[in-house]
This record gives sequence, C-alpha cells and structure tokens, in this order.
Amino acid sequence: MSSSLYVSEAVEEATQHARIEKKRLGVLFWICVGWLGLNLFGAIFANVLPLPNPLYQNYAAVNVGPSLHHLLGTDDLGRDIFSRIVYGSRVSIEVSLGSMLIGFGIGAPLGMLAAYRRGKFDATLSATMYCFLAFPAIIATIAVLSFWTPRSLIKIIIVVGIAAIPLVYRVMRSATLAYSTRDFVLAAKVQGASDSRILLKELLPNIAPIGVSFLLIGIATVVTLEGALAFLGLSVSPPTPSWGNMINESLAILQQNPWLAIFPSLAMCLFLLCLNFIGDRLRSHYDVSEVKL
Amino acid sequence: MSEQLLVVRDLATTFHTPSGPLRAVGGVSFDLGQNETLGIVGESGSGKTVLSRTIMGLQPRTNVEVTGSVLVNGFEVVGASERDKRAIWGLQVAMVFQDPMTSLNPVMRVGKQIDEILRVRLGLDRRAARDRAIELLELVGIPSPAERYDVYPGELSGGMRQRVVIATALAGSPQLLLADEPTTGLDVTIQAQILNLLDRLKERLHMSVVLVTHDLGVVATRSSRIIVMYAGRIVEIGSTRDVFARHRMPYTRALLEGSPKISNPSHTRLKAIPGRPPNLADLPGGCAFAPRCSFATDRCREERPELEPAGEVGHAFACWHPLPLVQKVLA
Repeated sequence: MSSSLYVSEAVEEATQHARIEKKRLGVLFWICVGWLGLNLFGAIFANVLPLPNPLYQNYAAVNVGPSLHHLLGTDDLGRDIFSRIVYGSRVSIEVSLGSMLIGFGIGAPLGMLAAYRRGKFDATLSATMYCFLAFPAIIATIAVLSFWTPRSLIKIIIVVGIAAIPLVYRVMRSATLAYSTRDFVLAAKVQGASDSRILLKELLPNIAPIGVSFLLIGIATVVTLEGALAFLGLSVSPPTPSWGNMINESLAILQQNPWLAIFPSLAMCLFLLCLNFIGDRLRSHYDVSEVKL
Repeated sequence: MSEQLLVVRDLATTFHTPSGPLRAVGGVSFDLGQNETLGIVGESGSGKTVLSRTIMGLQPRTNVEVTGSVLVNGFEVVGASERDKRAIWGLQVAMVFQDPMTSLNPVMRVGKQIDEILRVRLGLDRRAARDRAIELLELVGIPSPAERYDVYPGELSGGMRQRVVIATALAGSPQLLLADEPTTGLDVTIQAQILNLLDRLKERLHMSVVLVTHDLGVVATRSSRIIVMYAGRIVEIGSTRDVFARHRMPYTRALLEGSPKISNPSHTRLKAIPGRPPNLADLPGGCAFAPRCSFATDRCREERPELEPAGEVGHAFACWHPLPLVQKVLA
C-alpha cells in the first residue's frame, strides 16, 4: 500500500517535472539573450550613452590598461577601447542583419517555392544556386569588394547578402521538401486551399524554427566574415571602428598593448557564442513538435 | 446515369519512372450513386490508393499520365486544371487520409485547421467559423469540443486525430467522401468506432462514401458494393452480398480466406496468398494473378480476361476459370 503510494507520488512528481522542463529554456539561454540585447542596445543608443568619442585621440593617455577612467584602456592613439567596441558593434550588427535580410528575403521564398512546386522550376533554380555555391563565397566577396570602391557599409551588405542567398535557398528548400509531401499539405489542398495559403499558413510555421536557427547561425557567420574582411582591410575604412578592424590595428602593437587585441576579440567571441547557443537551444526546444504525443 | 454522383470510365494512371512506364491503375470503370458506400479492396500495391487519389485529381505535377474519365457530379476531373478542381475540392468531394499522425498540421491548432475551409471557402467570419468548427468537432464525437478547438494535434490520441481529420473533411459539406484506409493507423478498438462514425455521418449528412481498405472485414457490413482490385485493375465487382457469397474470382476467395471468420473454430490458421503482388512496371501478359493462382492455365498466362457479367445484377468478374457457385453461408 505504502509502496504504491510512493510510486504514484514519484510518477506525479516526474510528470510535473517534465512539464516544467518542457517550458524552460534554461538560465544560460536568458543570459545569452540578455547579452545580445545589451549589445543591440549599445549599438542603437551609442550616440546617446555617456561614452567618450571613439575617434577622439587623447595623446596624454596612450596605451593605458583598463582603469576607472578608461574601462577597457586605450589604444595606441589614445582612443577609448570600450567606446570603440560599442561603436564597432554597430558595423557588425548592421552588416549581419542587413545581409541576412537580403539572403532570407530572396533565398527563403525561392527555396520554399522550389520545394513546393518541384518540376522544371525547381530543377532550373537549384542548378543555378548550386553553380553559385560551387564558387567559394569568401573569395568572391573579397574579389568584388576589392574592386568596388569606395567601400561603404551598404556595399558590404549587398555583396555578403547576395553570397548568402544560395545558402539560405538550400536550407529552406530542403526544410520545405521534408514537409511539402506530408499528407497535411495534401489535406489542405483538397480543402481547396490556394498555393500561397499552403506555403504561408501550412508550411511556413513548420519550417520557421529551422529558419530561425539558420538565421542565428547566419548572423554569427557574417559577423566573423566582417571580421575577416576588416582584417584584410576590406570592410569600413578606418578610423570608423569595427571589431574586425580593431583586431587588425592591434596586431602592429600586440607586444606593447595586448588588451587592444583581447577586448574586441572577446566582444566578438561572446557575441558569437551567445548566438550559437541561442540557435542551438531554440532548435532543440522546438524540435519536439512531432515526437511529443 | 445522371443521378450517379461519381462516374468513372476507363480510368488509367501511368507513372513514367526511370525504369519505364508503371501502370498503377489500368482501365477502371464504375459508378457510385447518392448515399451509397462503395468498398475498394485489395492488397498493398494493388493501386487502390492511386485510384482514390486519381479520382480526387490529386497526382504529382510531373511524370504522370491520366486517361479516361472521372465525373464528380458532372464535373470532369481528368485533365482539369488545379484551379478548376479547387472549386469542387472540399465542397463536393473530400478526402480522409490514411495516417492521422501526418494528415494534420502539427503546428496548427486543430480548430484552425477546420476553420480554414469555413472562412476561405464558405466566407464565414471568424466567430461563425469558430462556432461551426466546434459544432463539427461535436458531430464527430469529440468530448468538450470547445476546449479541444485550441489544442495542437500532438495533444490528441490517434483516434481523436482521425476524428478531427474527418471533421475537416466534412467542413465543406461534401457529397462524396473518399476515405483511404481511414483506420489502418489506428488501434483495433478505435477502428470500429471510426468506421461506425463514418457510417452514421454518411446517413445523417446524405453523403456517398468510397472506403478504400485492404481489410474485407471493414467493408463487409458497411458498404453496399465492393470492388476487388488486383494490379491496378478491377478483378471483381458486385454487391457486398454477391462478392462475399457468390464470388467467382479466385483472388477474391483468397482474400476472403485470408481474413479471420467468426464461424471458424478457434486457432484456425489463416490462408496466406502465396507469392507477392506483381511488379506493376513489369506485368505478365495474361491475368496478373496467374502466377499466384492455383487454377491458372496457359490461357491465363497468355490472355488477359476482361470483366464478364456474372448472373446477378451488377456483379462482374475477370477470370477464365471462374469458381463454381457454391451456396455459402455469409461470413
């Protein structure tokens, strides 16, 4: 008697536990969201925040370490590193969001449409996209940016965005393909639902989680890419700060002032880590839509 | 003829595969009247699912060829554009799919899936559509339908999901309902409930039902007529009584012997049909069933038998060596 009571209590506790666990995304997830939010906030309100001018060169304090006056120290021209990192995040965030907007705006509808319609449309489009994919995106980006001068943020966004289209296309096409042959799509069809309705109302909600996690990974990739471009001197021109060109500039004086390399790298690293973690967490969180019965 | 709801003539569906044409449905003709239930029976791969989808006008956009004619309430489905078919889909003819696990959208509330047709096709406003959807959920026997409106399919059991699927199919008040193995994915205890539900709804809403199944037991008491299919063709057609008691085609008998009967002593072994269904891409020249038939002769292997009328009205079979009529007790 008592043992059966014990069992039922344990079962109840377990189910309750499971119920809570199902809803929760975890503390770390929210810390990551908070960190990204902080980054975004800084990038948007950098002008308004009480930050020193990131371009002001204070020769009285060159290459000083972190202090109360300069939170993260100054660089070889006496510019405040903290302020430059906050302003630098603007470039990273603008480039990544802008190019993803282009990549998803064009790649996602095309991918969904191709997977839904199949046939010649799909074959032609996919062949074209695979041709683009066969060409190494980073080299293409570097080549175009080297010749398309003067460089500006918008040009970088366009080039990186176009390079992202075939990648987004491929992911969204295969995600849609997995659902477009399901019976519920047929069922909606024989209810008389139009193609656009099926695409937007039936298919899109199913593939949205995959799209969102790919978006987050895409943003992370573009932040790295911008860093790489800046490192090669192909991003925004100095003195405008970006995480990438801060790291680039720091190399020359790595011996005297290692902080100059460490802080922007750390900022980029944390940003990417948070993005990837959120993407991963979201994916596993929403993946249960079918297996939970 | 005009009172027939569904008229199928010489319907053939051929898939063009890399390994050659595959004739999944080969020259099928039958009629279905108002408020009638027709059972289509056959093994896996006999073309019954392709047949039901072809009747709906649902086929892949490419590599498929449909010939013949399907008239639903006078509307010619074969060759109609998707746009035209949309006019009858849901409102005149609806379909219940095999697997309730996949025929509902996993990320859409069940009520919304019923709403769809009510709002888009029938032009009901949000409120009216919701009320009607709840009514439909109640009609298909879902307890506390108002609360169930807001759940996701994942929160319902298989039987409940199939009821929701049926409710979605009924939303546009179709006159013809095609049910493609509606109970195959369900527990045995639930199967009877769903079949009885379909039966009741048919009476109440004056629908005609095409019930596709591999289980003769499913159609025995529920359909007025039965079509037995083999390798994409009708091998026997007739009233349920005739097919069960006066079948002439050896394949029909083999199917009957393959399903359990209450009159048999317990632990009677069921007779399996030897061999496998033929490869549709490479059909033998004569009767498709000949390689598995114990009565087969050289004629069967060379010449394909056509449907011949049997003695009874509407009863026909395709066999060179029909079974002699034996007075049998109905199963």
